Amino acid sequence: MSKEFTDHRFHLTRRHFLGKLSLGIGSAALGSLLIPDLFLKSESPLTSPGLPHFAPKAKRVIYLFQNGAPSQLESFDYKPLLNKMTGEELPASIRMGQRLTGMTSGQSKFPLVGSSFTFNQYGNSGAWVSELFPNIAKVVDDICFIKTMHTEAINHDPALTFMQTGAQQGNRPSMGSWLSYGLGSENKNLPAFCVLLSRGRGNGQGVYSKLWTNGFLDSVHQGVQFSSSEERVLYLKDPEGRDRADRRNMLDQLAQLNDLNYKEFGDPEIKARVQQYEMAYRMQTAVPDLTDLTKEPDNIIKMYGSDCLVPGTYAANCLLARKLSEAGVRFVQLYHQGWDQHGNMVGEMPLQAQDTDRATAALIMDLKQRGLLDETLVIWGTEFGRTNYCQGNLSKENYGRDHHPRCYTMWMAGGGVKAGTTYGETDEFGYNIARDPVHVNDFHATVLHLMGLNHEHLTYKHLGRYYRLTDVAGKLVPGLLA
Amino acid sequence: MSPLKNLTLFILFLTSFLFAFADRIVLPVWLQVAGRLHPVLLHLPIGIIVLAVFLLMLRSQFKAKQFRKLMSYCLVIAALTASLTAFFGLLLSVGGDYGEALQRHKVSGLILGWLSYVVLVFYQSSSEIKALKRGGIVLLFALLIFVGHTGSVLTHGENFVLAPLQTSQSVALQDTSLYQLAVKPILDKKCFSCHNDLKAKGKFVMTSMEKFIQGGESGAAFISGNPDSSRMIQYIQLPLEHDNHMPPDGKPQLSQFEINLLHAWVKSGAAFEKKISDYNPVDTLVLLANTVTAKLPDANTDYTFKPASADLVKNLNTPFRTIFPLYTNSPALQADFFVKEYFKIEALKELNKIKEQLVALNLSKMPVRDDDLSLLSAFNNLEILNLNFTAITGSGLSNLKTCTKLKSVSLSGTKVTVESLKPILELPAIQTLYIWNTSIGETHKLELERAHPKIRFIHTLFKDESILALSKPILVNEGVLKKNDLIQLKHTLPGVTIRYTLDGPAPDSINGTPYHEPIQITETVRLRAIACKDGWYCSNVFESTIYKEGVNPLQVELLSPPDKQYPGEGAGSLTDGRKGFVDIFKEPAWLGFRDNNFEAGFDFGDNPPTLTKFVVSYADNLGAYIFPPTEIQIWAGTNKNKLVLIHTEKFTEPKTYRTPQMSFISLMLPPSKHSYYKVVAKPITKLPAWHSGKGQKGWLFVDEVFFY
Repeated sequence: MSKEFTDHRFHLTRRHFLGKLSLGIGSAALGSLLIPDLFLKSESPLTSPGLPHFAPKAKRVIYLFQNGAPSQLESFDYKPLLNKMTGEELPASIRMGQRLTGMTSGQSKFPLVGSSFTFNQYGNSGAWVSELFPNIAKVVDDICFIKTMHTEAINHDPALTFMQTGAQQGNRPSMGSWLSYGLGSENKNLPAFCVLLSRGRGNGQGVYSKLWTNGFLDSVHQGVQFSSSEERVLYLKDPEGRDRADRRNMLDQLAQLNDLNYKEFGDPEIKARVQQYEMAYRMQTAVPDLTDLTKEPDNIIKMYGSDCLVPGTYAANCLLARKLSEAGVRFVQLYHQGWDQHGNMVGEMPLQAQDTDRATAALIMDLKQRGLLDETLVIWGTEFGRTNYCQGNLSKENYGRDHHPRCYTMWMAGGGVKAGTTYGETDEFGYNIARDPVHVNDFHATVLHLMGLNHEHLTYKHLGRYYRLTDVAGKLVPGLLA
Repeated sequence: MSPLKNLTLFILFLTSFLFAFADRIVLPVWLQVAGRLHPVLLHLPIGIIVLAVFLLMLRSQFKAKQFRKLMSYCLVIAALTASLTAFFGLLLSVGGDYGEALQRHKVSGLILGWLSYVVLVFYQSSSEIKALKRGGIVLLFALLIFVGHTGSVLTHGENFVLAPLQTSQSVALQDTSLYQLAVKPILDKKCFSCHNDLKAKGKFVMTSMEKFIQGGESGAAFISGNPDSSRMIQYIQLPLEHDNHMPPDGKPQLSQFEINLLHAWVKSGAAFEKKISDYNPVDTLVLLANTVTAKLPDANTDYTFKPASADLVKNLNTPFRTIFPLYTNSPALQADFFVKEYFKIEALKELNKIKEQLVALNLSKMPVRDDDLSLLSAFNNLEILNLNFTAITGSGLSNLKTCTKLKSVSLSGTKVTVESLKPILELPAIQTLYIWNTSIGETHKLELERAHPKIRFIHTLFKDESILALSKPILVNEGVLKKNDLIQLKHTLPGVTIRYTLDGPAPDSINGTPYHEPIQITETVRLRAIACKDGWYCSNVFESTIYKEGVNPLQVELLSPPDKQYPGEGAGSLTDGRKGFVDIFKEPAWLGFRDNNFEAGFDFGDNPPTLTKFVVSYADNLGAYIFPPTEIQIWAGTNKNKLVLIHTEKFTEPKTYRTPQMSFISLMLPPSKHSYYKVVAKPITKLPAWHSGKGQKGWLFVDEVFFY
């Protein structure tokens, strides 16, 4: 009998079911009143890309990436204690068992080594700069040094990729692509994101196109790599015997064909391709003027050093970067290779410094005297630092330093940056951070902020979730802002 | 039940007694712990008294006797917990500076304890006045609400419940002080609940301006302009476990951002009334405040004019003229012109449609003339104007008089004169003027600076009279020169003289052949060249071996096989005109030998030419175990089987490491016509003692051979 009762209870009538259901739906409806965006369309709930979220401090970026990790201890992070203790063992209390690369983890000794280059203070700010960078020393009052950058990767490829894309694995959009996506292009006749490569005389590490990839963003945001040859943008000239009208006609016909294809398949990449053809057509007019460095006045050539006339050198790239930036290119990315001094610090570091010091300082002065430094953010950076102990044999004449992700120096100058200051401090051994660390994600958040973007709101939906340059981390560093 | 009632009474008396002498109590530590249980315990009497009221409402559901028993139990527990709570509360209050709000809570709490006992006793008495009994319970409930409220004021601050309803009124932002907008909301959230008129921890009240400035029992809370010596800023930065850390452990903590903002506020003078617009817009405080609330306008970009229609802005955009708002939802627009070949003055005229909204205009490098500047006089909100490298001479600058908001004008690279600047210097808002690369000299600049101390003049920043070296000349054609090719040199700086030598000593500013036209060569040479120009030091010497295509044999064969790892493309690699790279070994240009000698045969057919010279090009990369040959033999004859040794030469081995480079050996042959030549080159068999691979065999890498 009781079984029948039980069964009866399970047999809900439709009326009961609907009656009970109304309670559930009603309560959900009531609850939804408190969550206003619950049923919004699943587009980015935040601001649409293409404009800054708030008033930007800088409009454009020139990123002087020193690829291979220049030693902070021979450039800007002055550690006299290391000179006093050269040859002595790195104290375990400082090393704290932190991980090392495979290149030195097998060393039985970790002898500290001081810089063999002398340091002096410069400018009103009294920033310490090594003798290898006499020209940068002249512009320190325009610079904000960050002594306490730190990263998570310990080898070049992941560290580079992390520094440039916010993730150690590849395939995420590069910083320049994010800014192209977030702010759009100022000059529609040039790519918003340009990449210039050069190679110094030191031990080098490669760069790869994944560092300027658009990742999952639209391919118009990809970095455009300029050639190191005389012809900076390849295949831009019309072949002999073809005039502009021919070219125009050809592009129009091609666009019609592409349009047919787009109507059939609806692939947005087809539209992107047509746009790229059009831009290339306009670049045919805009680029020759930009890449012709011979029209620069003598005092500019002198300022950058005469190497700036040799295509593919760092100096030439700095000068070209200024011209591109002046013409409204949102993000100019330089990579200068050759900074990987595992050995022969004494031999290679001065060569690397010679190739870059003068042009770097010139770029800052050049932007400033044109009134562009206020709206351009210049970043000098790298993927990680170098160890305070010697890699390999420590001799009187020479030494080397291994990779060191726990602290390294970068600097910024220009739009919205607290000029003439040093942010953060490393311990007196130059091994750990003493105060005010700046993580790579924090750095990205700060750069985006200077460009008028809230790093938490610059998102793109991919594979079912929103991505950011800082992904799920990153905090603004107000101490870097003017 | 009666032991519980007695215990209640005991606690009540004890509490009343302690209440009377509250200021003289010295608490042992373990009782302090009991005191801190007050916030937990207090939920019991609340629940039970509310339950009693519910029971009262449901009394018809029970039998009368049952109900009385139930209610009795309920009231006993209510009285016990209420009095115990009052007792613990009293313990907690000892040593705290809570002010007036505490007094009310203390008194009312104690009364609640007593009342609960009285109501209990009355309920259990034989009195028949049921209404009075029920009334007692309701009264108890009413008092409970009052006590609860006075307690909540202590923990959450005054007006906690209704506050959200009252702060929604909007304010005109630019008329509000920065303190009100950005600082007070932080204090309100994290500080005011313990530092107000009613509850003044440390005798410090922050809710009123005067008392805030006055400070607490240990002195002033802050020193304007000196955050690092200000007590308040010090305390909030102490580690959490420190006794003086504020807010105390367990309370909602300040974020790093909020700490930075408070720090900046004190640093900038801790003003209460100062409006945002009165601050320097690039002050850290304003920037921080900007990020804390999007509502806060940047004083810099506080535009009151109406935005232009989005369609209008869109239609004004062309590939050569970009116009866009400064940022999302900003009415202010900026316009940039690009590619001077496409510039038309009409394009500038069309901007009249957005003359109200235009705040930044970039005409850099456009062929704009003085007359054209009259088009700009309508832009009365314009703040930033870039005229760098335009065709103006300055006479048109008077047109800018009406642009009263202009802050920054860039005139670098134009023909403006110091006199023509006058209309700009008189602009009321002008801050910065860029006059680099104009006819205005350094002395004029100093005069301008003296006359207009508020304006920043940016002139030539690069002042370096030292003489620099030129870059080296550039070799235009790379690789092996074909029969009719000429050597071409160039330099990218105009006016440079290039001097060169072929197989000679390095040229200098006097010695060496001046380069005027491409150079004809007949065989492989070492080219050395420098570039010189007045005002520069001559460049370092550019040095390169120029390989020239020689007499090509009809057939080439390898008489000994190269190493399996570096086979190149067999015999063809030797005469394909393709040079290898000194640090890339696995490529078709290179033939590598270690265990065998290099041995190759060259067949010139039945009608051989006269040959006088042989050149072999090899890699010199000692660190990679790749050495020059130790000996070369040249055999010649009518065919492969009838050969005579016509030349042999031995070479000394290198003494130490050196920079890797492409190298070559050139051998003079007795002039002769032979159909067949055999070349033997021997790799080093024992690496020298100074080498890290000493005693091992070394490599020989050959990419090309030439006969002349």
